[in-house]
Amino acid sequence: MYFVIGDYAAGMLIGALTAAGVRAILWPGIDMVIAMLLGMALGMVIAMLLGFLLSPLLGMFYTMIPAMLIGMWGGMLFGMRDAMEANSSSLGSATAVGALFGTILVLAIKTYDRILQGSVVDIGD
Amino acid sequence: VDERTRQKWDTASRTFDLFAFGEERRFGPHKRRLFSKIRGETLMVAAGTGNDFQCLPPGQRLLAIDISPKMLERAGKKAAAYSGSIELREMDVCALPLPDASFDTVATVCTFCSVPRPVAGLRELHRVLKPGGQLLMFEHVRSRIGVLGVLLDLMTSLSRRLGPELNRDTVGNVLKAGFTLRREENIYLDIVKIIEATKQPAPFATP
Repeated sequence: MYFVIGDYAAGMLIGALTAAGVRAILWPGIDMVIAMLLGMALGMVIAMLLGFLLSPLLGMFYTMIPAMLIGMWGGMLFGMRDAMEANSSSLGSATAVGALFGTILVLAIKTYDRILQGSVVDIGD
Repeated sequence: VDERTRQKWDTASRTFDLFAFGEERRFGPHKRRLFSKIRGETLMVAAGTGNDFQCLPPGQRLLAIDISPKMLERAGKKAAAYSGSIELREMDVCALPLPDASFDTVATVCTFCSVPRPVAGLRELHRVLKPGGQLLMFEHVRSRIGVLGVLLDLMTSLSRRLGPELNRDTVGNVLKAGFTLRREENIYLDIVKIIEATKQPAPFATP
């Protein structure tokens, strides 16, 4: 249970901080392609730092893989949204959407992990 | 001996155990399941600070090696606390000063992400294994899932400076070294894996 709660909490935190970071450096009207690229780069840096800090508690791979995906995709999407001024006008609502995005991505990775788990090759003893 | 690798892991030994808490709790049961297959004379490669000794079945006698003397210093206490007997020795897996066909089992945990010449290291393990001997590995590899593979490639450009590479094809390297793959099991996504392989038994002598 510790790891289940921890994984989702880490995903929420990384998603929320990525959204807040993107909101802090981008401005409405910025070219959307540049916003996407900047958002992705910033998201990955935030994710890497946070992932590294949280990995002693949750395990390196279980933290870094979701963190990098949340940072990369979240950063791109939040960057596009903020460039277009498309909803989430307050910082609070932007970070809440970031946390929700992080949660959904952790759920997706956990589901995919379950599908992949098990023997790929097994020719017996 | 690869001095650069030794220095890197000597430095990493200072913070190595900080990352053990989460890893051990999540991967420990899988390692125990893998190591329950250990039999006969056993070589454990890249023992690190000895965190994996607690995953060994009780009462075994084994030789545990590492390239880093600082890692082995830290492993000493954990080896002493083990219920069997663990001899610690400093060695480079790419040049093992051990006789041919001297072990029944070779065990590795997150080793071939760090060996600079992985196929050469695996060929050495193949050499020191007896015919029919088993290689038990708990390793992380490059994902075959597009975006994850690319992410691991990107992260490797940073991680290799401080520790392991995250984009190794260890299953392919095991086959290149001459082993027969017996089992490959995904533990986390298709990145963390159990790999079991054997050295082919010697062919029957013809009169």
